[in-house]
Amino acid sequence: MNTLAFRLFLAVLLAVLCAAALIALSGHNPLEAFAAIASGAAGSPHALGVSLNKTTPYLLAGSGVALCFRAGIINIGAEGQIAIGGLGAATAALVWPVESPVVAIGVALLAAALAGAAWAGLAAAIHLGRHVHEVLVTLLLNFIAMLLVQQALAGALGAPGAGFLQSPLLPRAAWLAHPFAELGAHPGILVGVAASGGLSLLLWRSRFGFALRVAGASRQAAAYAGLSLPALTWGAMLLAGALAGLAGGIEVLGIHRRLIEGFSLGFGFKAVAVALLGALEPLAVVPAALFVGMLEAGSLSMQRQVGVPSSLVAVIEGLTMLFALAAMARR
Amino acid sequence: MDFLAATIRIATPLLLAALGGILSERAGVFAVGLEGMMLAGAFAAAVATWASGSDLVGIGAALAGGAVIGLLVALVAVRFRADQMVTGLSANIFAAGVTSYLLRANGGRAPSIHLDPLANWPVPWLADLPVLGPLLFNHPPLTYLAAAGCVALTWWLGRTQAGLTLRATGENPEAVFASGGNPARTRLLAVIACGAVAGLGGAVLSLQQVGTFTDNMTGGRGYLALASLIVGRWTPAGAAAACLVFGAADAFGLRLQTFGLPASSYVLQMAPYVIALAVLAGLGRSAKLPAAIGQSLE
Repeated sequence: MNTLAFRLFLAVLLAVLCAAALIALSGHNPLEAFAAIASGAAGSPHALGVSLNKTTPYLLAGSGVALCFRAGIINIGAEGQIAIGGLGAATAALVWPVESPVVAIGVALLAAALAGAAWAGLAAAIHLGRHVHEVLVTLLLNFIAMLLVQQALAGALGAPGAGFLQSPLLPRAAWLAHPFAELGAHPGILVGVAASGGLSLLLWRSRFGFALRVAGASRQAAAYAGLSLPALTWGAMLLAGALAGLAGGIEVLGIHRRLIEGFSLGFGFKAVAVALLGALEPLAVVPAALFVGMLEAGSLSMQRQVGVPSSLVAVIEGLTMLFALAAMARR
Repeated sequence: MDFLAATIRIATPLLLAALGGILSERAGVFAVGLEGMMLAGAFAAAVATWASGSDLVGIGAALAGGAVIGLLVALVAVRFRADQMVTGLSANIFAAGVTSYLLRANGGRAPSIHLDPLANWPVPWLADLPVLGPLLFNHPPLTYLAAAGCVALTWWLGRTQAGLTLRATGENPEAVFASGGNPARTRLLAVIACGAVAGLGGAVLSLQQVGTFTDNMTGGRGYLALASLIVGRWTPAGAAAACLVFGAADAFGLRLQTFGLPASSYVLQMAPYVIALAVLAGLGRSAKLPAAIGQSLE
């Protein structure tokens, strides 16, 4: 674990060094650019709040992905589960408007988690029932989910007027409050940290978690020990799907306050990135998600202040993933 | 008539990428990185043609650009034995970032690249045939290349020693090793070649159809190509048929929009992914994926 943490640190360092070289190549000072990212991500309470909000979906979805990967289930369907979760939250809030914020938010987030779990369950059913590789199923379902959201917004759930597809504004009772005054952040980050803590306990302190780890280490050993692989797959997929759906619901209720086409674009793949960077350890996904969230929050101020294109962030993310994969490889 | 022409037009970049993907997957490496390979190819082709003024240089650059992403995937997935799919995804994120960044690297603003799209090359005599002529024998060069590539790959995979080795590496790498071959090297080369061919698919978009490069201009076509090679059951001819079906669905969707028909274009856009899923689910265990696909080499 210790050496793995060190190798992952090297992976991040190497990615950042490559990014520095790219910045220098375009005629800017890398240190200046990184300073601008840091100030944009944590230079003021408001900046920190933006970082925390950006971190939330990656943390929620990433912890679930980490759990699946631990069990050897390569679930790359978070993207679709987030989209369907957002659809569930928006539908619940619009179809059943209630006065009480507690009920409205509770119902919408429950709908989000259930919708996400159902979408992941569909993937599990096709994977287990028809012996289709889970990566192909989850990948293909991502596109179908995204188009389903667009179809819903072009039809019953849509509101005209914008240049893109969106739903009407949700009833005010369903909006997630921003209780930390100076930060301007919604409480989703707390849900995220609680979820990753809970998953970590589940993984290391429960019978189910032990079974997941055995299955991840060796399918043969798990089968020989009498563990039911289908039951484990169902459990991990439904949990991860519920968390990803919740991430989508929180994004809709806390940030946009309506459903917007493509609101989940790229989230699922970044959830995979933070799961890897956190060495598939749910608690370690917290700093990993924070790293990616802060990078994204800071990238715009880097572009504004120093003139370095903000797409540098995707370069850092992609390289970090590639290096982390190489660092985690079995030797 | 227009409809059929649009179908072929939409299918061409998909087919080239799918042919690359077949090389990779038949050698036993999932080709999730097709999207990034196409994007890198589209970028390299546009920038190189713009800088040099020569289409040929641009096409060479497309091959090289796609191959670079292929090399990255090959190193991490084959050399370091990381999960192939996740490696492909990472490469896609990297390619999207790096092409967008490099486009703006000089002064923070994207240059305005305007290229004349590659002209049609009518085949002498054949292009004058009624109906068939304009449909089949009056296309820009990369479209002929895609069709020729389809025939060439079928022959190469089925009839040459190297093609046999590649297929064996995807089915039973231990046997290749036992007979004195080097499965890791075969996979490495197959993935790099996959990148180069998919890069050509990207060049179809930037050089032949649009005449410039914009951020993320492949817009998921790499994943669509992946779906088409699954539906085509890992054969060039099957993939070509799937690409044409997907192209027709897309062209039909565009028609619907222009004529304001009530049917939904989103549902139509879903078709390729639903068909791919249905084919996989319908075939179940008999889907005949290359047997050793996804497995790392010990």
